[in-house]
Amino acid sequence: MNKKQLNILNITLSKFIFAIGLLISINSINAAEGGPCKDYGDCDEFKYSLNDMASLQRGASTFLNYCYGCHSLQYSRWGRIATDLQIPEEIFFDNLVFDKSIKPGDLMFGSMSKEQSAQWFGVAPPDLTLVSRVRGDDWIYSYLRAYYEDSSKQYGVNNLVYPGTAMPNVLMALQGNQKLVCKDVPVIASNGGEKRDNFGNTITKEKCGYLKVVEGSGELNEEQFDKLIYDLTNFLVYVGEPAKAERERMGWYVIFYFLIFTALSALLYREYHKDYHK
Amino acid sequence: MQEKDNTRRKVLIGLTSAVGLSGIPFAATPFIAAWNPSAKAKAAGASVKLDVSKMQYGQQIQVAWRKQPVFIVRHSKESLKNIDAALPKLADPNSDQIEEPYKGQNPTRSKSNEYTVMVGVCTHLGCSPKYHPEVEPKPWDASWAGGFFCPCHGSMFDMIGRVYKGVPAPTNLPVPPHFFDGSILTIGEDGGTA
Amino acid sequence: MSEIVGKLFGWVNRRLPVSNTFERHLSKHPVPSKVNFWYLFGALASVVLIIQIVSGIWLIMPYSNTEEEAFASIEYIMRDVDYGWVIRYMHTTGASMFFAVVYLHMFRGLLYGSYQKPKELVWIFGCTIYLAMMAEGFLGYVLPYGQMSYWGAQVIISLFGAIPYVGESLELWIRGDYYISGITVSRFFALHVVALPLVLIALVFLHLVALHEVGAGNPEGIDIEEHLDDDGVPLDSVPFFPYKVLNALVGIGVFMTVFAIIMFFFPEGGGYFIEMANFEEANPLVTPEHIAPVWYYSPYYAMLRAVPDKLGGLIVMGSAVAILFVVPWLDKSKVASIRYKGIYSKVALALFGISFITLGYLGTVSVTEVRKTMSVICTIIYFAFFILMPIYTKYEKTLEVPERL
Repeated sequence: MNKKQLNILNITLSKFIFAIGLLISINSINAAEGGPCKDYGDCDEFKYSLNDMASLQRGASTFLNYCYGCHSLQYSRWGRIATDLQIPEEIFFDNLVFDKSIKPGDLMFGSMSKEQSAQWFGVAPPDLTLVSRVRGDDWIYSYLRAYYEDSSKQYGVNNLVYPGTAMPNVLMALQGNQKLVCKDVPVIASNGGEKRDNFGNTITKEKCGYLKVVEGSGELNEEQFDKLIYDLTNFLVYVGEPAKAERERMGWYVIFYFLIFTALSALLYREYHKDYHK
Repeated sequence: MQEKDNTRRKVLIGLTSAVGLSGIPFAATPFIAAWNPSAKAKAAGASVKLDVSKMQYGQQIQVAWRKQPVFIVRHSKESLKNIDAALPKLADPNSDQIEEPYKGQNPTRSKSNEYTVMVGVCTHLGCSPKYHPEVEPKPWDASWAGGFFCPCHGSMFDMIGRVYKGVPAPTNLPVPPHFFDGSILTIGEDGGTA
Repeated sequence: MSEIVGKLFGWVNRRLPVSNTFERHLSKHPVPSKVNFWYLFGALASVVLIIQIVSGIWLIMPYSNTEEEAFASIEYIMRDVDYGWVIRYMHTTGASMFFAVVYLHMFRGLLYGSYQKPKELVWIFGCTIYLAMMAEGFLGYVLPYGQMSYWGAQVIISLFGAIPYVGESLELWIRGDYYISGITVSRFFALHVVALPLVLIALVFLHLVALHEVGAGNPEGIDIEEHLDDDGVPLDSVPFFPYKVLNALVGIGVFMTVFAIIMFFFPEGGGYFIEMANFEEANPLVTPEHIAPVWYYSPYYAMLRAVPDKLGGLIVMGSAVAILFVVPWLDKSKVASIRYKGIYSKVALALFGISFITLGYLGTVSVTEVRKTMSVICTIIYFAFFILMPIYTKYEKTLEVPERL
C-alpha cells in the first residue's frame, strides 16, 4: 500500500471509529430497553424552557400549593426561587410561603416529618430537588399524567409509568378521573398501511391500555392540565439545576472565544511553519 | 519579504497573546468568586429582625446575630437623664477611641432615643457581661449607677455600654449596624435614612 | 528597567539552571519536524491534568468528606457557592476528557510503535500512569456519595473479595468498616486528593524525563538521529520551542472548544459522564436497576461480565491492563510504524480498535445472551492482538522505511 492509500485507510478508519462514537453517544442511557416509562411505553418528549419565567412561576406555584405539603426541596433555598424566577420577594413570601417564620435564606426542608410520613405512606415521600436529574424530565412529565383508576390499590389509583406507586393522585381534582379503556384501533398491515376489508372499510381490532379522562370530571380540560404539568415539570427542571440557563448562555461565549483563539493560533502556527518545510 | 514576515509574525504573536491573556480574568472569575460568602454563609449571617415594643423600661434582651450576642436595652426618660452620673468613671465617654456608626445621634449611642443596641461581647477577652440595672452598691463598685459587669475579669460598662476606667476591657461595647422601622428593629443592616 | 530585569534574571540564573533548562528542553530540544495530529494528545493530557488539579483544589474547599454531608455538599457547590457549578463541571468534564485524550495517546503509541527501543521505559511509565488514573477516577467517583458512587464502590471492592484466601479480609481492610460507610469515603478522599495526584505528577515527570532522554518518535518510525547536520543537530528536526509549542497551542484551542461544548451543554454526557443514578443519595438498602461504571471503564466491565467466574473475571480484567506493559517485547517487528508494517499488523490493530470500542459499548448496556457472546468474542480478539503479536510482527512482510522524514 502506498502512502496515498494508507492515508485514505487512516482517514476511513478514523471516520468509522468517530461514527461509532457518535452513535453511542446519541443513544444515551435514557433510551434503555425495558423503558424507564414502563407500562406507559415510550416517555412523552419534554422540552424545557428555562427562560420562560411565566411558566416557571406557574410551576412554582403549583408545586408549592400541591406538592410541598409532602415533598421537600431540601437543597433549594426559598429566596433563590424568588430571585431566579423574577418574583418580587414580598409577593413571593406573601403568597407562596405559608409558614411565616421562614426566612429567605432558609433551605426548603419540607412540611412533613420523614418518620411520620414513612409511617403513613409506607415510605417517606422522597425529596424532589434532583428528581429531574435522577428520573429525567420526560419521565416526570409522563408520570404526572399517567394515573388511572384502579380499585385494587390502596388509594384507588395506579400509575402506568410507575406501577404500584405509593403516591396518591394529588392532582385528580384538576385532571379529572382517568381510566384505562379499550379502543378499536386500525390493524396495520405488513407494508405499514391500514388493512381494509373487501368493501374498503378499515379493519379494526380492540386494544386495551389506553388512558382516557372521564369528560368533565376535572376542573381543567386535557390541554389545560397538560400545560399545568408542563409548567410543573419545567419548574422541577429548574430546581434540579438552577444554574442550567446561565450555563447554556455562558457556553456560547466560551465556545466563541475558543474558536477565535484556535483560528488565531492556527495562523500563528502556519506563519512559523514557513521556517521549515514539513 | 523578510521584513513583511517579521511584522506579520509580531502582529500574530501580539494578537494571539492578547486574545489568550484576555481570557485569563474570565477563567479566573469562577475561582475567585467561589471564595465569596456562599448562600449558606449569607443565610446564616443574615440580619435579625425583632419587635421591641413589648420591652419594659430598664429591661435588657439578647438576640444572636452572626454567632454573637447583641444586647438591647430599653431606657426610660429618667434613666437617660442620669446617663452621665458615672461620667468621671468612664474611660471613653464620647466613643472617641472606637469607630461608632451612629455617634452623636442619640444619648443612647444607637439610632433610637429609647433603645441601646450593642454587641454583648466584653472587649477584654470576649466573655458575656451581665446586666445589673439596679442603682445600689455592688461588690465591684460601691456607687454603682447601673450597667454591665463582666464576671470573667471584672470589667465594668455603664447602662449604654461605655467602659469604665481602670478595668481590663479597653473600649466601649461596639454598636452594630441596625435600624428601626417603627418598633421593628433590624440588626445587621444600616437601613438608609439616618 | 530592562537592565534591572536582566540583572535580576542573571542573579537567579547563576543559582538555578533556568536558561540551561529552557534550552535543553525547549528552545534547543530537537523533535521530529513532521508529525501529525496523533502527536498532540500528550500535551493535551498535561493540560487536562492541570485543569483537574486546579478544579480539584477548589472543590475540596466546600466539599465535606463525611457520610452525612458528602452528597449535600455537592449540591451546596452546585447552588450556594458562587460559580461552584462551573468548577464542578470542569472537574467532571476533565475526568472524561482525560481518559479520552489518554486512550487516543495510547493508540498513537500502538500506531507508530512509540514503545520500541529505546522508549520502552517511557511506555512503561505511561502504562503506570494509566493504572494510576483508573484508580484515581474510581476513588473520585465515590466521593459525591450518590447511588452509583456507593454501588460502584460495592462492586469494585467486592472484586477484591474474589482473591483466594486473603479476599474477605482484604475487602474489610479496604472498606475500613463492615459495609461501605463514611470511613471508606474519607480514606478514599485522602487517596484521591493527595496520594494519587502526587503519584501521578511524579510519574508524569518521569515519563517526560525518560522521553527527553531518548527523543520523541515520528509517524514514519525512523530515527532522526541518524542524519545530523554539521552542528550535530538532526536534519529532520525542529526546536521544540517555538515550533511544537505553537502546534500544541492550536491543538489546545480545538481541545478547549470541545471541552467547552461538553462542559456547558452536555456535562452529564447523556448519562455517560455523570450517571443519572448519582443524583440520588447513596442508599445501602436500594440497588439501582442498572449498575454500570463510567464509560472509560466499560471495556473492562464488559470483559468482567463475559467471564462466568468472579476470580476468573478479575484475572482477565487485570491481565487486559497488565499485558499493555509488555508490548515493547511483544512487538518483534523490524519497523516501528503501522505505515510500514505488514497487512497482518494493520488488520490486527483495526480489529483491536473495533473490539475495544465494542467492548466499551457492551459494558454500558445490560447483559443478554447475544451481547455476552459478543463480549467473549471481543475479549478474545483483544487478547489475540497482544498474544499473537510476536508471531505476526515477526513473520509478516514489511515495507521499506524511508531514510528521511
